[in-house]
Amino acid sequence: MEIDLQERDDVLLRRSAKGDEDAFAEIYRRYQARLYRFALRMTGSAWAAEEVVQDIFMTLVREPKKYDPQRGALGAFLYGIARNRVMKQLERAPRELPLEDSDGTCRTNSFATDPMTPAHWAELRERREQVRSAVLELPIEFREAIVLCELEEMSYEEAARVLDCPVGTIRSRLHRGRALLLAKLEMLREVPKRVNAGH
Amino acid sequence: MTCEEFAMAGLEIGPSTEDGPLRLAAREHLRNCPHCAALYENWQGLRDDLHALGVASRERETPHRVEVRLRQQFRVKHGTMRTRRTAAIAAWALAAAAVLVGVISWTSWRHQEAWNVAGRHKVSTARETAPSNSAPAEAISPAAMELGDVVVAANSGDFALLPGVIPPSLEDATVVHVQMQRSALTALGLTVNEEHGTDWIQVDLLVGDDGVPQAVRLPQSPD
Repeated sequence: MEIDLQERDDVLLRRSAKGDEDAFAEIYRRYQARLYRFALRMTGSAWAAEEVVQDIFMTLVREPKKYDPQRGALGAFLYGIARNRVMKQLERAPRELPLEDSDGTCRTNSFATDPMTPAHWAELRERREQVRSAVLELPIEFREAIVLCELEEMSYEEAARVLDCPVGTIRSRLHRGRALLLAKLEMLREVPKRVNAGH
Repeated sequence: MTCEEFAMAGLEIGPSTEDGPLRLAAREHLRNCPHCAALYENWQGLRDDLHALGVASRERETPHRVEVRLRQQFRVKHGTMRTRRTAAIAAWALAAAAVLVGVISWTSWRHQEAWNVAGRHKVSTARETAPSNSAPAEAISPAAMELGDVVVAANSGDFALLPGVIPPSLEDATVVHVQMQRSALTALGLTVNEEHGTDWIQVDLLVGDDGVPQAVRLPQSPD
């Protein structure tokens, strides 16, 4: 069956609920990447993010009537499920650090193709790891705001819809999240300096 | 702009932010406050790092195996639903068929009953209108046969089976008109009023093909 690219989510979901697999696949393709990235950035684990995405769409398969178009967009509904699943993942398992870089490529490959000097590349990679660790250590409500607004580059209004809270709350969470991030990064960067000074 | 105001609003200002009163006030504050200037510099560095982190993972997608698994689950779920729906439809069809058969049976039974009642009524009407020696098949009312009364009512126009007689086959029976004394009915097993035992009466006997009387009728006298 043909799927119109502009077809509305609720129409697709209704078709999916009636057993139209193409409609379900279209919904999946529309949302899987952003939900996966959200889960990945919140949990720091590719495996957990995969589980989260699978759970989200299994909910759509099993209980499509849970979504009420009157109450908001399908995206916000799916992010709501994603947040619940992420919380459960975080409660269940300690954070697992991914073995690969967040861009999905092996470190040696990046190293081989990067035009910068190895020292510069190593410094950049270390900074990125520090930022990623600092983000993962933020309390969940601040982490959500940072992930959505800084990493996913959503507007405050979009983030407010996803997190189901006022825009003002997003602003204040971002403000506190940034302050915490700065403090954590300051600490992370101070420790090696102190270690070096001690030698 | 105070340091608190700068912390709340000034950090939002980036290099691409349009010039405006807020940006001008923030710039002015940055020139005069080394603490906020350091904070702003740190924040810009962090913002760049976050942006780089976001860009680095922007292309990440769920592994294809997840889609395969989900599609499988989707097919299983909707396959099961289809089976259930078919089973439900079959069950309803069976129930409807059973109800239909029931209704048809009941209607048929009711029709049969009505036909039987009409048949009895017809026999009764025919008996009432027919002469006394008309066809024997119409002469015995089912009521009389079923009751098997031994006492023949004086005003009854029905044949009554004699005691111990099995309902006869009417095809070979014959009606015989006889005149006899009332007391002679006792020989047929009937009870009579002895005071009028010597009275001569007119009696119709239904005689079977073996020549034995099987039922009796006292025709109504005109008076």
